[in-house]
Amino acid sequence: MRSERARHNKIIFSGTVGAGKSTAIAALSDIPPVSTEAVASDETAALKRTTTVAMDYGVLNLPDGEKVMLYGTPGQERFSFMWEILSEGGIGLVLLINNANTDPLKDLENYLAAFRKFISGTAVAIGVTHMDRAQEPGLDAYRQKLADLGHDPLPAVFRADARNREDVAMLVKALLYTLNPGLIDA
Amino acid sequence: MSRHTHLPGQPLTALYLLHAGSMDARLIGLSVERHWKHSVRLVATLDEARVVLVDCDRPGVEAAFEQLGQHPRTGVVCYAFHPKDHAPRFPNRVILGKPLNLESLPGILAQAANDTARQVAVAPPRPQAAPETPPANFSSKPAALGHGLKMDDERDLCGAMDDIPLTAGATLPEKLFFDPDLYLIGHLSRAVEQAIVSGRPHVISGLPRLIGVQPRPLPICVTAFRDNQLRPFSMTQLPNTTARIVSSLIFSESVGTDTVYGAEDFLWNIAAWAARGRLPLGADPYQRVRLKAWPNFTHAFVSPHALRIAALWTRTWASPVEIATRLAIPHRYVFSVFSSAQFAGLLDRDAPAVTPPVIAPVVAPTQQQRPSILSRILRKLLNAV
Repeated sequence: MRSERARHNKIIFSGTVGAGKSTAIAALSDIPPVSTEAVASDETAALKRTTTVAMDYGVLNLPDGEKVMLYGTPGQERFSFMWEILSEGGIGLVLLINNANTDPLKDLENYLAAFRKFISGTAVAIGVTHMDRAQEPGLDAYRQKLADLGHDPLPAVFRADARNREDVAMLVKALLYTLNPGLIDA
Repeated sequence: MSRHTHLPGQPLTALYLLHAGSMDARLIGLSVERHWKHSVRLVATLDEARVVLVDCDRPGVEAAFEQLGQHPRTGVVCYAFHPKDHAPRFPNRVILGKPLNLESLPGILAQAANDTARQVAVAPPRPQAAPETPPANFSSKPAALGHGLKMDDERDLCGAMDDIPLTAGATLPEKLFFDPDLYLIGHLSRAVEQAIVSGRPHVISGLPRLIGVQPRPLPICVTAFRDNQLRPFSMTQLPNTTARIVSSLIFSESVGTDTVYGAEDFLWNIAAWAARGRLPLGADPYQRVRLKAWPNFTHAFVSPHALRIAALWTRTWASPVEIATRLAIPHRYVFSVFSSAQFAGLLDRDAPAVTPPVIAPVVAPTQQQRPSILSRILRKLLNAV
């Protein structure tokens, strides 16, 4: 029997520390997101004051009363054991990459590898954040990296501001259309 | 058709720009100077005018109309982005849609001038001075322009072109295509290309605002044009010699630190606005192509159905007509994406020699459990944002 968590409709938000997962969920959620952020005590502290040590989630309330859970995974890799559990039964993955990190393309590679099995059965849309602080690598470099990793067709890669609801919604919409281009949008 | 349209013996139409912005004034001035000098003459005062052109989108337009009360013999032609919105405010006025069709505008101006003069001539004398300006009722005529009172948002973005035949062979209508060289996109495309090839910044000058192109480290475009200026400017045909592309050593000083756009996003948007549902000259609507990648839709212009088109076209070699057929949407929406993708460098034309047959039409969402929840999420996002 599938767990309660697995039976929910849910969209997974994952990505590197400081990429804006919690912020993105807050931008989209219909409820104040439940977060388990704590004061960062390791190398993460150099990047942000608090970090998600377990998970956080928000909710999209659909008009028919149904709910879509927005799950954010912890960014720190030592919590990666949770990623598979959280993503079980998910609709798809919104992956946020902090472009101001030392090697964001390597981050992209690592996260795609970690979610390879999940993505192969669903879809991924990628948001590159903090491009105002770090212009490079550009979107073309991300596309090239994805091609090098064998992604064909390439998933959607957008420049994104996690604080901006429209940007986050655009990522989710791209994810949905990737799953089914025949969705009616009007 | 020559742009110097002029009927023998017909007087020049004295045109006064009553409430037009400086950019419009400059563009119209250039058009008069270079293409309409045998049919239109710009005049400096309202007293000299036989017809006035009024921009309804600019603040203070009511005050502008008040001036016309003293000039009942002067024809009035208005223009606006959304003519329908202004129709109740200015009933019985000719309200053209933006962008103005430069081919037909001189004729419309002349007709407005002549009709108004004729109406005034046959009207019974009024006891009061300063009569209200007689209406120049063109409600049944702007249709010939292809825009006007019937224009709505969708038409603004993707035009109103009918679908073309599903298979090649028939002669395609000329209006299906646009010549990029007549629009900003042609100049911009060349500037970006030259900047990248030379590795040096380039500037497009001769326009009301400069547009700079910086090729490194990532191609960007910088301009003082605001978004609400760029769109109409991109839609408008520019006289051939208006813009000049020059190499610039001192990019930052020549252009300033105004709005910065990724070159790909900028090219995508400018092309979409120029295309308005048409294809660039020389494009083959039956040739199979593919999108190399999704455009950056958080910054790139999202025309109707663009997300669906991108999702399908990044995974399938298909012609524009095939994509439209599979998604059951009008061809013009796909042509819009095609045009943008071409100029943004996102179009892959190197189809494999043997492309797999185009797969069946996209499954209706109600036939599966997943599309059902996906559709509901999508509807939620569309309503919420």
